[in-house]
Amino acid sequence: MTVFWQLVLNGLMLGGLFAIISVGLTLIFGIIRLVNFAHGELLMVGMYATFLLTTQLGVHPYALAPPVVLLLFVVGVLIQRFILQPLLEARDHHVQIFATVGLSTALINLALLLFGADIHSTPAYGARTSLTLGPFRILTGHVVMFVAGILVVAGLHVFLQRTYLGRAIRATAQHRHAAQLMGIDINRIYIITFGIGAACVGLAATLVAPMYPVSPTVGTYFVLTAFVVVVLGGMGSLHGAFIGALIIGLVDSLSGYYIAPDLKEVVIFAIFILILLVRPTGLFGLGRGSE
Amino acid sequence: MALRIRPALGIVAGVALGLLAGTAQADVKLGALFPFSGELALLGDESWRGVELAAEEFNAKGGINGEKVQFLRGDAVDNNQAIAEARRLISVEEVKAIFGTYSSSRSQVASQVAELAGIPYFELGAVSDDITGRGFKYLFRTNPTAKAMAARTVELITEVIAPRLDVEPSALKIAIIHEDSLYGTTVAGFQNEFGAEANLNIVETMAYPASTVDLSSTILRLQQNEIDVVLQTSYQNDSVLFFRQSHEAGFKPKAVIGGGGGYSLVDTAQAVGADVIEGAFNADVTQYAINPEAAPGIEEFVAAYQAKYGSAPRSGHSLVNYVGAQVILDALAKAESLEPDAIVAAVKAIDIPEGGTAEGWGVKFGEDGQNERATMMGMQWQDGKLVTVWPPEAAVAEIRLTKPE
Repeated sequence: MTVFWQLVLNGLMLGGLFAIISVGLTLIFGIIRLVNFAHGELLMVGMYATFLLTTQLGVHPYALAPPVVLLLFVVGVLIQRFILQPLLEARDHHVQIFATVGLSTALINLALLLFGADIHSTPAYGARTSLTLGPFRILTGHVVMFVAGILVVAGLHVFLQRTYLGRAIRATAQHRHAAQLMGIDINRIYIITFGIGAACVGLAATLVAPMYPVSPTVGTYFVLTAFVVVVLGGMGSLHGAFIGALIIGLVDSLSGYYIAPDLKEVVIFAIFILILLVRPTGLFGLGRGSE
Repeated sequence: MALRIRPALGIVAGVALGLLAGTAQADVKLGALFPFSGELALLGDESWRGVELAAEEFNAKGGINGEKVQFLRGDAVDNNQAIAEARRLISVEEVKAIFGTYSSSRSQVASQVAELAGIPYFELGAVSDDITGRGFKYLFRTNPTAKAMAARTVELITEVIAPRLDVEPSALKIAIIHEDSLYGTTVAGFQNEFGAEANLNIVETMAYPASTVDLSSTILRLQQNEIDVVLQTSYQNDSVLFFRQSHEAGFKPKAVIGGGGGYSLVDTAQAVGADVIEGAFNADVTQYAINPEAAPGIEEFVAAYQAKYGSAPRSGHSLVNYVGAQVILDALAKAESLEPDAIVAAVKAIDIPEGGTAEGWGVKFGEDGQNERATMMGMQWQDGKLVTVWPPEAAVAEIRLTKPE
């Protein structure tokens, strides 16, 4: 029984990791209706920034959250303003998606050029210390990620529900043209949303960096799972993404032990397809009329 | 459209390269096919440096009856390009033989072109066993393969670990974990085969995708099964993950043995910490921390490399290609002519005893064209350095393994 609960604990912590990475993706997905294939590479940029600042300045990676979040916000704003917005009026919406694919490839190769293919480890500053709770073990860094995931989801929820800007963002998501008629500058909303989405990835990067070494392709390890989490939870639903991430984490952990580690992706995607068959909008999606 | 443009570009590049190469008057032309650009360029270039050094040394000694050899380079940036470049080297440049290739998949396709043209192909670095399993007449491989790697890991258990733990090898509970691409699967397959022959108790074999971000469930299973020895065949990401998560979960097997990949990289040790990776074994091609008496010529190689390129060798790839090229070039000098069949006869006559090359192994080709004396070395991480510990004549350090109280 101890093994089972340790697996559940591992699964929840893994879910926390997926959640913090997926929040930004679901925001961009839900509001701008854009599948951002460069999401993993934004994480990579944030992790390199964290790595460089931590090793150069000798500060705790968590303390770097404000500058890295700001950096990624600016990067997100620039991407939306200068790459995606000019394509917004393109006849085919898919052009934007291809632009993010191109951006992803460009960022990976830029990182290869600057840092080489080697891995770089951010000093852990205690984030990789095991805490012992009775018979169970848990990493401090994972606990921090889990709590941060809850706080980010709650914070964004309050922001979207209670503030004027948040309402404008939701209005834009619900009906772009109606929002425009109500006097909302939707281009500005998109720029801010992409910026916030990227900023969430920045926060994730500072938390993930002490746990995983960074390399140019580090984003590709996480991004596929992040897409599954977002679609599973329901596009654009923040708490849906969080719960979706926990489900994926638990399935990953339990099937890796009880079935076989090379089959855990089979189990994850089988559940994924099953849920989509039963509920095409995802667990907490708003359904068809929400656009 | 892209498909129609690419061969044209290849031809243009080929002609340009041909013109460049044509200006250097070569006496005996040979082809060198490596990935010189693209994602494999770094280690492709490192492999080429070994061939280049071997050729310079060979020419300085007098070459083939006073004729110098000249290597014409072909860029095997991907499989299609490897085929195109092999064709160019054979039909445009009329090389007498091709040396290559570092990448197994490039080697597979390029050697097929050479075989059809009846031109000898010498593989000096690709490790996939299939390459020499196709019954080719003009294909020879000097370097050890995945099979040799698996053989060495099993030997480390029976000859090194079990005796030092003072138990029978069959009393140890062994688990094989590996990434699930061709590399990990092939090595693990041979480990199971040789392990069964040696009567080892292999409790379980688990595959996982190399891009995994969590191995905690796998490690928990190893822990629950009270595994004594873990054999892992892995790239870098998953090697780091295994060491970190084992450490964090408090899993301490009596021994861990890797098979090249992530286990041979200094970055892996830096990422997990020298104290965590301390004592881990590894089977891989010869590295530089080896007893020079068991690898005659290795010090001269390192000195020549340093003098030409201004740095220490970046990996073992240059050495293994250097040794392979050196052995084959010496055989060419002894061949009756440079006609393909004469070359094959000369290469088949090579007989270098074990410990006779700078790699530490000997050379004798089997029927399939594989060098049957090529082996891997047994190494161990000690104080943040990967040092050769097995076989004893090649060792530079004592094996660190103590029986737990």
